[in-house]
Amino acid sequence: MAYLGKKLITLIMTLFLVSAAAFLAFQIIPGDVVTSILGTEATPEREEQLREELGFNDPPVMRYLHWVGGLLRGDLGTSYRYSKNMNERMPVSELIGDKLPVTLWLAALSTVLIIVISLPLGVLWAKSRSHAVDAALGVVTQTAMAVPSFFLGILVTYCFGVVLKLFTPGKYVSYRQSFSGFLGYLIFPALSIAIPKIAMTARFLRNSMLTELGADYVRTACGKGCSQRRVMYGHVLRNALMPVVTFLGMIISEIVAGSIVIEQVFGLPGIGRLLISSISNRDFPVVEILILYITSAVILVYFLVDILYRVIDPRISEK
Amino acid sequence: MIRIENLSVAFDGPEVVKNVSLEIGDGEILGVVGESGCGKSVTALTLMGLSPRTARVTSGRILYDDVTLLEAGKPRDEALYRRYQGARMSMVFQEPMTSLNPTQRVGRQVEETLRLHTKLTSQERKEKVLETFRAVGLKGEEIVYRSYPHQLSGGMRQRVMIAMAVILHPGLLVADEPTTALDVTVQNQIISLLGEINKKQKNAMLFITHDLNLARRLCSRVAVMKDGRIVETGETEQIFEHPVQEYTRQLIQAVPSRLKERKREKGPRENGRGYAAPVVKVQDLSVYYQEGSNSLFGRKKRRCVVKGADFELYAGESLGLVGESGCGKTTLSRAVLGMIRDIDGSVVHNTLRPQMIFQDPYGSLNPAKTVGWLLQEPLRARGAIDASLALSKEEMEEAAYDMLRRVGLEACYFHRRPSQLSGGQRQRISIAQALITNPGFIVADEPVSALDVTVQAQIMELLRNFQQEMKLACLFISHDINVVYKMCDRIMVMKDGRIIESGDTQEIFASPREEYTRQLLIGS
Repeated sequence: MAYLGKKLITLIMTLFLVSAAAFLAFQIIPGDVVTSILGTEATPEREEQLREELGFNDPPVMRYLHWVGGLLRGDLGTSYRYSKNMNERMPVSELIGDKLPVTLWLAALSTVLIIVISLPLGVLWAKSRSHAVDAALGVVTQTAMAVPSFFLGILVTYCFGVVLKLFTPGKYVSYRQSFSGFLGYLIFPALSIAIPKIAMTARFLRNSMLTELGADYVRTACGKGCSQRRVMYGHVLRNALMPVVTFLGMIISEIVAGSIVIEQVFGLPGIGRLLISSISNRDFPVVEILILYITSAVILVYFLVDILYRVIDPRISEK
Repeated sequence: MIRIENLSVAFDGPEVVKNVSLEIGDGEILGVVGESGCGKSVTALTLMGLSPRTARVTSGRILYDDVTLLEAGKPRDEALYRRYQGARMSMVFQEPMTSLNPTQRVGRQVEETLRLHTKLTSQERKEKVLETFRAVGLKGEEIVYRSYPHQLSGGMRQRVMIAMAVILHPGLLVADEPTTALDVTVQNQIISLLGEINKKQKNAMLFITHDLNLARRLCSRVAVMKDGRIVETGETEQIFEHPVQEYTRQLIQAVPSRLKERKREKGPRENGRGYAAPVVKVQDLSVYYQEGSNSLFGRKKRRCVVKGADFELYAGESLGLVGESGCGKTTLSRAVLGMIRDIDGSVVHNTLRPQMIFQDPYGSLNPAKTVGWLLQEPLRARGAIDASLALSKEEMEEAAYDMLRRVGLEACYFHRRPSQLSGGQRQRISIAQALITNPGFIVADEPVSALDVTVQAQIMELLRNFQQEMKLACLFISHDINVVYKMCDRIMVMKDGRIIESGDTQEIFASPREEYTRQLLIGS
């Protein structure tokens, strides 16, 4: 419990620092938002009016406090760029709320794929005594790791979309329309994200298991009369998972932040693309919220990793 | 009854076990002694069916009560071995710290043996484990059952290992250096426990050790191994009293033992201690560690590791610091050297740059550098601090060559790297490194603990010679009371951060005042 409290305080402090940094950064970055919204042809009166409307005439500290106050009340602000209708600007919450599920589902699917495929693959690889299997897996994983993700996306589109016709490339189905259709489409970008990570994780697990196999306690287990299977699953796997969990944490936090390239290749309306367009449009309210989202997502993933550590290795919780 | 007949084992290269024949009767304890690398562990692992896959049996066979477990030319019958391992033959290893699975409760690990070899219900299994825990002297067996290995002390872990090994009363028990990693007092208890178990269970026991004193205490027969061969075997007393082979004689002589009177020139007390100023004077020294806390705002605690140490050290004198691991020996020495700043009390020395010799000759020399470079490093460091002491390149090289010769190594070692040297040679380099600046005061932290007995004797001889020659003051840290006896003029006994007893070596050995000191002495 004390541990949870500590983590929560860390989370809040990190978010506070990041929010301040994000806010500050966009005060410093050159380029005038007003000009960017209205274009160079606008009259000075109109510019001044917009400035007043967006609160740019207040001192920065006031604006920061105002912004944070809004956040705490659940008001994420409004986009500079997108409008709901003629006289109302789009609230950031609505803008993100529309795209966040896409990214989160994509991340969830990729994560499941990575874990479900890489762990058994890694164990099998470590167990295999055949030189051919070992060499083949080595080459395959090496290749999968080396292929750039956009190209992998194109390959997946070609194989599953064009040749096997399992989905229609470019024809994204919104989750509002049909959830099963949405997942059916999402599985392929998820696969593109997962393939290189699966290769890395399997490799990592295999090396970790081979290292553990040399440990003294493995000899003890063999000395008791344990079969190879029992040694592998009963003793080695759990110990070998420790470094893999760290690695998975790194991978997953990266995925949760949105994969810009894959979203682009598959035409997915996710966080990654929104982030890019908001940055180039100087749509700072959106960017700031996205930064906060990514930060909290990463922290949350590491928090889960930390808990997993404690579950796997009893030595950690006592330090 | 276990019979090993003409066993030879090879890895990729030449044979490491050559034509070894051994016989262990029921209820008998056979000791196999020899220095590291002599093939004793490979023999034991092969017997147990635990040798790595790269090991090939090139000749001979192993018989267990007329059943052939292993025969040269045939692949190891894993299924047969699996039925024997744990049930009819089991092994206790050297490292109790790493020999247990860190992520499993120890009760479950011991219980696994029963699960593999018996049809007992889980309730019966648990009861049997608890009963065995009691039998091997583990108090609070319920708590131990639920503990993870890291929650137990080294001695307790080794008891757990023993419980795991003997729970099914195996006919053969192999113990490979079971006490080497333990403190002296614990060592004693474990040795007695093994003796007791042997009496009760009447199993054939193979006891492997480099420590002849232990073999003498526990074993009825002893086999001496060298370079993969058995050079001599016989009744224990016979071997120790009348060794036939030259090697056995060397081995026995190399053991530092209190029974042999040491020859000593005039002690430092006679050459004017009391008149000359001490080299090191430590007064009421307490040393603290910052105990880290992970929390964001948590205060760091200041923990006292050494309390109120008081001593003086004179030129040419060597002062032994003994105690069990974790008692604060190393901390005290680091504080004396000025490597820990958080202290109360005072440390005064009249030498500028005290040097240190470390325990692990493998880890303490930079593997990327040549011996010559390593030897010149202290000179370079000294030159960088004090320009008046800086030497030219030629002078440094000459000093390094000279030092190499004085520690008994030939000039050709100058260009070698540490990985090309044996443990003893490395320790010679460490000594040369420490003494090349003629420091006047050195701290030697377990300098011979990692070495084989014969090498140990040579290194101790070397250190003593240097000490007399250079009038070195030496703080000599060791857990091995016999080594200290041989090396030191005075002794301090440390326990839980306090120096509980100090005095002349002879006096302390003859009449220890503290009960703890007495235990340490009995233990060796």
